[in-house]
Amino acid sequence: MFSFMGEITLSPPQAELARLPVESKIFLEGPDGSGKTTAGVARLLGLLERGVPGASILLLVPQRSLGQPYLHALRTASLPPGSPVALHTLSGLAQRMVELYWPLVAEAAGFAHPDMPPVFLTLETAQYYLARLVRPLFDEGFFASITLDRNRLYSQILDNLNKSAVVGFAHTQIGQRLVSAWGGEPGQARVYQDAQECASRFRQYCLEHNLLDFSLQVELFVRYLWPDEGCRGALLETYRHLIVENLEEDVPVTHDLLAEWLPHLDSCLLIYDQEAGYRSFLGADPRSAYRLKALCPQRVTFTGSFVTSPMVIALGECLGRALQTGSQAPASPPPGTSETSDSLPAYQAALSFEVQRFYPQMLDWVAGQVAQLVQDEGVPPEEIAILAPFLGDALRFSLANRLERYGIPARSHRPSRSLREQPPVQCLLTLTYLAHPGWALPALPTQFDLAYALMQSLEGMDLVRAQLLAEKALLRVDGQPRLLPFERVKADLQERVTYRLGERYEHLRQWLEGYAQAPAQELDHFLGRLFGEVLSQPGFGFHANLDAGEAAANLVESAQKFRRVAAVGLADLGKPVGQEYLEMVQDGVIAAQYLRSWRGEAQGAVLLAPAYTFLMSNRPVEVQFWLDVGSRSWYERLYQPLTQPHVLSRNWPEGKHWTDDDEYKTSQEALYRLALGLLARCRRRVYLGLSELGEQGYEQRGLLLRAFQRLLRAAPQEASGV
Amino acid sequence: MRLPPDFQFTQANLQDFVDCRRRFLLRHVRRLAWPAIESEPVIENEQLSEKGARFHRMAHQALIGMPFERLALMLNEPELAGWWTNFQSQALPEGRRYPELSLQATLQGYRLVAKVDLLLVTPEGRALVYDWKTSRRRTPRQYMAARLQTRVYPYLLTQAGAQFNAGQPFPPEVVEMIYWYAGFPDAPERFAYDDDRYRADEAYLDDLAGTILSLAEQDFGLTPDAGQCRYCVYRSLCDRGVQAGSLDDWDEAMGAPDESGGNLDFEQIAEIEF
Ligand code: SF4
Repeated sequence: MFSFMGEITLSPPQAELARLPVESKIFLEGPDGSGKTTAGVARLLGLLERGVPGASILLLVPQRSLGQPYLHALRTASLPPGSPVALHTLSGLAQRMVELYWPLVAEAAGFAHPDMPPVFLTLETAQYYLARLVRPLFDEGFFASITLDRNRLYSQILDNLNKSAVVGFAHTQIGQRLVSAWGGEPGQARVYQDAQECASRFRQYCLEHNLLDFSLQVELFVRYLWPDEGCRGALLETYRHLIVENLEEDVPVTHDLLAEWLPHLDSCLLIYDQEAGYRSFLGADPRSAYRLKALCPQRVTFTGSFVTSPMVIALGECLGRALQTGSQAPASPPPGTSETSDSLPAYQAALSFEVQRFYPQMLDWVAGQVAQLVQDEGVPPEEIAILAPFLGDALRFSLANRLERYGIPARSHRPSRSLREQPPVQCLLTLTYLAHPGWALPALPTQFDLAYALMQSLEGMDLVRAQLLAEKALLRVDGQPRLLPFERVKADLQERVTYRLGERYEHLRQWLEGYAQAPAQELDHFLGRLFGEVLSQPGFGFHANLDAGEAAANLVESAQKFRRVAAVGLADLGKPVGQEYLEMVQDGVIAAQYLRSWRGEAQGAVLLAPAYTFLMSNRPVEVQFWLDVGSRSWYERLYQPLTQPHVLSRNWPEGKHWTDDDEYKTSQEALYRLALGLLARCRRRVYLGLSELGEQGYEQRGLLLRAFQRLLRAAPQEASGV
Repeated sequence: MRLPPDFQFTQANLQDFVDCRRRFLLRHVRRLAWPAIESEPVIENEQLSEKGARFHRMAHQALIGMPFERLALMLNEPELAGWWTNFQSQALPEGRRYPELSLQATLQGYRLVAKVDLLLVTPEGRALVYDWKTSRRRTPRQYMAARLQTRVYPYLLTQAGAQFNAGQPFPPEVVEMIYWYAGFPDAPERFAYDDDRYRADEAYLDDLAGTILSLAEQDFGLTPDAGQCRYCVYRSLCDRGVQAGSLDDWDEAMGAPDESGGNLDFEQIAEIEF
């Protein structure tokens, strides 16, 4: 019946689901790995083959990475020509509709300039505007009792606004909800009130300046566009078929919207992952999702796993029990399945570990095991994931280095790498100060900055020469940084630096000076010129240096986006946007975090990722390594004095206090879901990297480690402890 | 050549291949970010590109039924206002309108995609593909005739447009490609289509994509036409110059460059967003 069926292998229940009549409204649930997504893909391809126009199908996902299997299938299957299927997240759909229907709703929604276009804020530009509003309030005593990096305070205020939008309560209720659930020392109530005040001021500012952060985009869509006949009519007319992937990872307002949308559709497939809900800290609400089941006449449940081996399943069962038993007696083997005839646990072959004294030894062991897997057992590197609760620079670097020694490439999935940490960007920032002496903060750039920039920018320049030159060449004229012409550098130093390098230095210096004498340009244009006309030319450090090109491109893009958005509020201050941008970068408000460098699925490389990031990429692997097993970061919430994701959810009863017991329970639940979620994405084996002393040199005995200890104590012989 | 797994052919990347194979390789296969200035004067080009994007959005809004008068309130710049007046006074034929329409078909195992500004199907069954142009100069007809866009859009509509013709493919004879210049409203450039053209385009596109797939990496050489390099961000990588060329010096024989100044223009973004 379906020609694509030769292209994907389907189990009978999957094939049956794909074959259901076009006009079916289906709720599909099942555990991780039970084949729901494959069934969803088959259903999508089946719809297309049966003549449903692609443009009438909407794939709704909580985050774009979860749409990958669908996109892959759409790219590779032999499908009839036509119009393409649409893939959106709620916020993507919201932004698109807001952009299109803005003239109809801007005034009603309270924007001060409905005749001007909306300005969409990214996370970092929202943080920028918020910082501008909140900074003066610190002097008034706001958040005086909190010791935390200011940028984290800003992000928590934005997070509160986002929660109000996706959970569906007025942003003016944030403080009150937090206060009413607080039962601790009274000073915290003031902090929540301050957080409310900041959120309200920010919202007001956005309305006055046509700025739309994530929360306002969602609110505008849900409260003004969806009820608007024209907008809703267009959506209902365009999308007649809906496939929703990972419904449980989406937010309550999406579920509300779907509840109203479903009756108007020709067909739908809602896919619900049992025991998931990993994004609850972002507002995901499995309970809210589950109510949609009642609206679907066809309900299908998948069981079992197509991903994991029976050993990994057994490991999951035992670990799950060990986590649930807490500090009670050792986990007993599960009835029937988890114990082999000779009394060895069935998960034995799925678990390996070795205890080291020190952290670096553990990393050596991990790298050695990876090498053995790749080189001796033929496991493709991309089938190996090394996971930790957090993946800091030091850990990422240490692992990548160790793997490199074995000739094994690694790629990292770390969504929080700041652009300014990258050497080419540091170089560009230093040169920017030299070209705009009036913008530089009093001590910038330092001699070290200059030496580093010279090393980066001049081909053949080593650190020693760069330092020598920087020491003499960096002048301060009226407090502003200037570079000394090479001919005025002492002869012996000229010789030491070499004339060839001197020529390059002089070319760069003259270019910067020429620029500085003309009227200043936009920062991103300046950077583009500096890059194109000097640094990427032959003889300079960025020439044919693709990594430098990419880092520079990210900086240029960040500066350009900032200019387009920040110019709105800076016009009255009379301050150049570029100068403001540099200050914000130095302040860490603008981190310019970019995904480009690890977009895509690199073949032939071991993945290094934080556990949650791996989970949400939903791509199983053969082998996983779990590091820092003793760390409490596997389950403890970050310190968030301004917000509380559980209290701001729909499931929190009004007026109920959040207690230590609640905290412990939710941590345990989170760990349980995370550990089992990881195992559901592991086909064959998990390696535990254990060290008595953690990365910071302290002994760690978190819940996950204790669960493994219980599990192993219960076993007659330690699994594959080596 | 192995193309990236999510690669799809568009008129823009095929045009890049025709203009310079190396640029195709760098931009679309390696996806190399290279933030040099593309063309001068940079600020004017950027403003023109932004105005073009705003014009396209307003046209879209008007075509989905928003009142012209409401949209006119959003005009705050004389050139855009002029374009808008021209747009308002052009008499689009009666018919079903599909603004911002995406189409796709398979080409050598990859998707060929396009997003057209407007498909208008008249009551007599004519299928008019409109493309709004906001460049300051009107491009010579012979140049537009040779552009990949002029071949890809009508071809794709013929291939993939059945949904808009009661389930039947449009016969090539009813398809017409129309470039409507916002600054020259009375002189649109129209290209009729027919079966011969359709077959020729099919063979040409198939051959072009086949060539791309059959070439080895080293075959993606630098263009012999160094004039191209003045308007290409990769010039430092290719050792083909230092400064970006000025659009004022753009050789008419090469036709007008895309009105967007950017490395990835909004038309391309629209095409690749999925
Ligand atoms: S600089 Fe010239 S040769 Fe190099 S990619 Fe661009 S157009 Fe091609």
